[in-house]
Amino acid sequence: MLKLQKLTRQFGENLAVNNANLEIPDGQMVGIIGRSGAGKSTLLRLLNRLIDPSEGQILFGDADIAALKGRELRAWRSDCAMIFQQFNLVGRLDVITNVLTGRLYDVPAWRSMAQVFTPRERAFAIQALDRLGMAHTALQKAETLSGGQQQRVAIARALAQEPKILLADEPIASLDPMNAKIVMDALRDINRQDGITVICNLHTLDTARNYCDRIIGMQDGRVVFDGTPDLLTTQMAREIYGAEADEAFNEAATSTALPASVAAARVMA
Amino acid sequence: MTYTPTLGGSSAAPGDGPRDAVSTFERHRAELRASKRLWNILGLVAFVVCLGLSIWVSRFYPDRLAAGVPRIFEYFGTIMPDLQWSVLFEGRTEEGRAVPGSLTFWYTDFWTYMRLIWETILMAITATLIGAAVAFVLSFPAAANLAPNSWVYWISRRFLEICRGIPEILLALVFVFMIGIGPLAGVLAIAIHTMGALGKLFAEVNENASSRPVEGITAVGGSWAERMAYGVVPQVAPNFFSYALLRFEINVRASSIIGFVGAGGIGQELNRVISFYSDDRVAAVLLLVVLTVTIIDLISERVRLNYIGRENFQ
Repeated sequence: MLKLQKLTRQFGENLAVNNANLEIPDGQMVGIIGRSGAGKSTLLRLLNRLIDPSEGQILFGDADIAALKGRELRAWRSDCAMIFQQFNLVGRLDVITNVLTGRLYDVPAWRSMAQVFTPRERAFAIQALDRLGMAHTALQKAETLSGGQQQRVAIARALAQEPKILLADEPIASLDPMNAKIVMDALRDINRQDGITVICNLHTLDTARNYCDRIIGMQDGRVVFDGTPDLLTTQMAREIYGAEADEAFNEAATSTALPASVAAARVMA
Repeated sequence: MTYTPTLGGSSAAPGDGPRDAVSTFERHRAELRASKRLWNILGLVAFVVCLGLSIWVSRFYPDRLAAGVPRIFEYFGTIMPDLQWSVLFEGRTEEGRAVPGSLTFWYTDFWTYMRLIWETILMAITATLIGAAVAFVLSFPAAANLAPNSWVYWISRRFLEICRGIPEILLALVFVFMIGIGPLAGVLAIAIHTMGALGKLFAEVNENASSRPVEGITAVGGSWAERMAYGVVPQVAPNFFSYALLRFEINVRASSIIGFVGAGGIGQELNRVISFYSDDRVAAVLLLVVLTVTIIDLISERVRLNYIGRENFQ
């Protein structure tokens, strides 16, 4: 169970995340939606402490994540994997080394500095790559891959961490519809098969509806909606995105999904 | 603003007043150019004043130049060898004497020079390796975007500044007094200067590295050292290599003169022949130094371009 209590982050005058209170049980697949600048990304980065909170608590079990430091903080990041919109791989390193960096927390310092990994660790990394259908690229440099392939490598890196929680910050925003589907299917698969909690920022409503058990809507740093996809009416979505009442609000207009799922989303909406 | 744009430039003639987008733009452009012109004139005046001052201080006057330049050639006259075509390739005579006017006579001490040039190159290699290694380590805390905290940043920056602020020749002089005459003093002096110079360049390369891979390594739970080793080093390694080679070229030149203060290498011999003889031996040594530096520059440039080229096209 991940518990946020009065979580707040202020940048200057701007409250990027304002008094967020949430409880996320283990194994849930959560989608966070909202306009750009609503605080989705800040919220996710607060969870693995890439950004430090200004106020409030993040509780995981009994541990106060907001207060962790040094090695304990790195242990938490290792348990709470993250994938990024721009993949954040090391382009000049080969794919297998990129995935192996997912094990860095458990590798002794001298071995990590000498880039020495055991056959067991390599096997683990290759299995993670294979699960995403990327094992054949293991010895290529990461920067030679396409965006969709890089995101799959990034997911393999996250899997190599053996995380309890997987955060995904706009994982499909830079991808074409085909690759977006592959990546979202992979995330759902990880959630269902491994029981890993997945918290995912999404900019398209239909993706959130199709893949998530629960949707959280954010507006100007505040959580304004929290519920199952069927509770998210068009009226509600309009409020989250701040669309004018008389302005036509078309979900498909923001969609990057393949035609079949667009049709499905329309039926649902 | 109630102005509505009209199609076609002819209707928006210059007389339309300040609300016209075109005339507003032209006015701003004229203001910008006027303010730039002021700065240009101020800059030019400052430059001319500085130039005048430096000419006056160094007394760089045409008459002194006219009197001095012929003396340069005069000196070259005294150090030029008196080679004669008829005996140019003559070897030593049976008694082991070289014939005056032959190459053998001019380069009597050829193998001594070669040994010293080899020593000079080795000094440059050692100093570059030591200097680059320390610069590599310090370039991460000395990069504003990577330093773990501000005081580590401040200390490493200042340390690098001190290292490159002291001239090599001065450092060499101090080391000669401390550890005696010989190449070790020269190697230390050049290595310290290299630390400072390369450390600054490396740190600037680090500051231009993309933060995305670093963020990726942070997010997997990597320590600061792991973030540097995995997130930064792969990005900056080709540039580091290129800068280190460039520094090696500079260090070959530096180590060939540092011997003037007794810190080893060919410079020591150059100093000796200049102060004791001032004859054709000076030209003999100078020629070898120029040849060595040129050859090393050419090789190093080749390696550098090949390396960068290969990296970029992969």
